[in-house]
Amino acid sequence: MIAGVVIAILLCLWGSFASYGSESDVQQQYRDPYMVSAQFTRLGGVLSAIPEGAGIGYITDAPPGSGLEAGMFLSAQYVLAPRLLKRGAVAEWVLGNFSHPADFAAVGRSQGLLLQQDFGEGVVLFRKAQ
Amino acid sequence: MTGLIWVVEAILLGCLLVNRFAGLLVVRPAWARWSLICGAGAAVGIGLTSVLFFFCGSLLGMRAAALGIEVAVLAWAGYEVFRRRAPAPQPAGEKRAPLLISIAAISLLLALAMATAAIATSWDANPQGNWDAWAIWNLRARFLASGGALAQRAWSSKLDASAHAEYPLLLSSFVARSWAFSDSFSTAVPEATSYAFFLALIALVAGGMAALRGPMLGLLAALVLASTPALLHQVPILAGIFAGCAAWTKDEGVLFLAVLLTVTAALKRRAALATLAGAAPAAALVVIFKTWLARGNAGLLSTSLPGAGKRLADVGRYGITIAAFDREFAGLGVGWYHPILPLIALAVVLRFDRERRRDAAYCGALVGFLLLGYFGVYILTNNDLTWLLQTSLNRVLVQVWPVLVLAGFVGLRVPQAAVIVKPVPPAAKARRKTRRLQMF
Repeated sequence: MIAGVVIAILLCLWGSFASYGSESDVQQQYRDPYMVSAQFTRLGGVLSAIPEGAGIGYITDAPPGSGLEAGMFLSAQYVLAPRLLKRGAVAEWVLGNFSHPADFAAVGRSQGLLLQQDFGEGVVLFRKAQ
Repeated sequence: MTGLIWVVEAILLGCLLVNRFAGLLVVRPAWARWSLICGAGAAVGIGLTSVLFFFCGSLLGMRAAALGIEVAVLAWAGYEVFRRRAPAPQPAGEKRAPLLISIAAISLLLALAMATAAIATSWDANPQGNWDAWAIWNLRARFLASGGALAQRAWSSKLDASAHAEYPLLLSSFVARSWAFSDSFSTAVPEATSYAFFLALIALVAGGMAALRGPMLGLLAALVLASTPALLHQVPILAGIFAGCAAWTKDEGVLFLAVLLTVTAALKRRAALATLAGAAPAAALVVIFKTWLARGNAGLLSTSLPGAGKRLADVGRYGITIAAFDREFAGLGVGWYHPILPLIALAVVLRFDRERRRDAAYCGALVGFLLLGYFGVYILTNNDLTWLLQTSLNRVLVQVWPVLVLAGFVGLRVPQAAVIVKPVPPAAKARRKTRRLQMF
């Protein structure tokens, strides 16, 4: 009986060490895969430009419905909260969150938006054209 | 880092309240008593302060009142515990623990150290947490922490559907409270909160099983990681509080509450009323939240009703779901190790105690009905079944796993080599009887 209990204890310790090794590997392999921490710096300019109570429109070049689009949108929402993001050019202020360089002013014009500020790294702020 | 002070304050508040009111002072051995008080205290403290902050801070806009009530209750509970403190124990009466228990205790500490190291790697690599942490729970905490009308955005139908505005708010509200009181959005708060829950689970399992079945099984059960509804049926009102808080934490918690109440009513009738009373406050909050505050947000079940009959009749869905349950259960292990192995080893060498069949049946019924409920949700859902199974089943099984382990441990025979026979003084017996009566 004692031997059985000791075996159970050893199995648990084996599991603990195996879990640690596995968890370390996984965490090293997937370090902030959606780069959420980096968004605080990347979107820092928008934080100071838009008041907390505002609702903000949102446009992007990421394919709709893709994991990339969802990750970019939700990480931006997380960083900019309590500002509320809404997909599309649906508010006076619209955040452009782009994964590739482009003519952002032209992108905005095509949706009736005027480029207000380019914060770099694909982050731009548009305002609805009057 | 000041946010951590408020996490610790909530846990301290819970520990003082549990120490004063839960009737655990008669639990022996002493380490099991303190383990239970700290484990239950952490859960109660986080739950109560979360509800208080949500009600006073988010709904009524009186954040200062939430803070004031907390501090006042902390001071009062601290005074009560100090006033009623027990006399210092007689050191001569203590017996040395058998070697096997010492080995199990050291192994548990080692396992805890390894688990802490593993958790620390995730703090380092992903300080904002995984997807659900920043996309759902901490996002909504940021709204709640912002106060005023902005707090309502945490359950607003204008919030993106992926943020699940309809989900209950225990965790988000607690994180928001600690952020708001410390005036910062430190990632240390959600990290410390999840770690506190982890330690509380271990403490509850170790202390609960030790009190119920002896120190050896307590330490072994904690080693295998377990949760403790079977222990809590000894203190049913506390079990109810926990189940109510579970319902205020996640939608799966609503199912857990329903299953716990049903199984308790069927198998532990005398405890049913107290369990219900304990669960009532948080359960009422869930009902108010779901039917009034977040009524514009469609839940998983309500969106799944159209076409439910067709999905129920689809035999292929059953096959896919059963295969996924199989796969994810196997996936609870790492490499050649699976956490069921130590339980099997113990079941073989210790065998089951016939007198504990009722307790094992109680825990087993909880596990069975929970799994049946989850299975039914997967069959009914109108979400993509494969995607939903891939993204959620592992988490669901991890939630049920501690109850399954507990169902096994509660039925095991106590290893005779580890039994400590300790006579209970008549005065203590009388106190114990009085306290049990007070609980009801």
